[in-house]
Amino acid sequence: MSRTLSLREAERRAFTIAFDDGLWDIFLGCFFLEFAIAPFLSENLGDFWSSVIFLPFWGLVYLAIWMIRKYIVKPRIGSVKFGPARTAKLKKFTSVMLLINIVVLVLGVIAVLSFGVVSSQIYPIIFGLTLLIGFSLAAYFLDFPRLYIYGLLLACSPLVGEWVYTYRNASHHGFPITFGVTCSIMILTGLIVFIRFLHNNPIPVMETSVEER
Amino acid sequence: MADQGSEPDLHPLANIDQVIHAPARLMVLTYLYVVESADFIYLMRLTGLTWGNLSTHLTRLEEEGYVEILKEFQGKKPHTIIRLTEQGRAAFRVYKKSMAQVLDDLPD
Repeated sequence: MSRTLSLREAERRAFTIAFDDGLWDIFLGCFFLEFAIAPFLSENLGDFWSSVIFLPFWGLVYLAIWMIRKYIVKPRIGSVKFGPARTAKLKKFTSVMLLINIVVLVLGVIAVLSFGVVSSQIYPIIFGLTLLIGFSLAAYFLDFPRLYIYGLLLACSPLVGEWVYTYRNASHHGFPITFGVTCSIMILTGLIVFIRFLHNNPIPVMETSVEER
Repeated sequence: MADQGSEPDLHPLANIDQVIHAPARLMVLTYLYVVESADFIYLMRLTGLTWGNLSTHLTRLEEEGYVEILKEFQGKKPHTIIRLTEQGRAAFRVYKKSMAQVLDDLPD
């Protein structure tokens, strides 16, 4: 209790403690793993099916995380309803993310239509920038600083991938190497945070009535 | 002799709410002020207070009418939800204002 506590800091802490269990890191790592594995699958399945095949994988990961959160995390950390300021910030975050997804979709369509017309070097730059902006906004709105680092790593992945592809003859535009390393960092960080969370937050003894004490 | 005119006005400090002023209760109320509601375990984790300690402070705050303690069952397990009452929110605002007034007026 020696820590100084401002209202802003209290609000931030009340919000972040609910999510600082490493599960988001693991989910995001598994999500972007597609970019490392799909290039290999596309040789046999084609671009479309090699991406679609990840949908059940993401679903399984999400289900596993939902169950871990319900049966392992919640009994240890409890639950909270956030105040109006945080709820408004989350709504703003949802709107911004929706906008970014629309922009990404439009850019994707433009990229497909202009394939061969503009330099191929521009795609990894736009892809990287979009990831950096998206993750930076998420880090800001969610008070989740690790997302800045993940954004930077993911933004560098296509650029570094192109470099190792051009100068080191790496396969599949270097994506398996760069995205593989980035996703491994994210998943490993998530696992370490989760183990630390379990260690620091043992299940409290059975709750008894306040009046009984 | 001290210059009476330059002394800070300590009147708000004399009227400070002692129920809120206790460090543990102040911490509990601070967290409840910034959220809509939280359950017992969440408050325990946030404040770092032990089960017994938090129970005692919540009982005191409930007696004063500053917090509302709602009990429900999740399956067979009891679940306690705590939220600040309007009276508690108003008292916290007054406390915050009074402390700021006194501390801001103190010379460096």
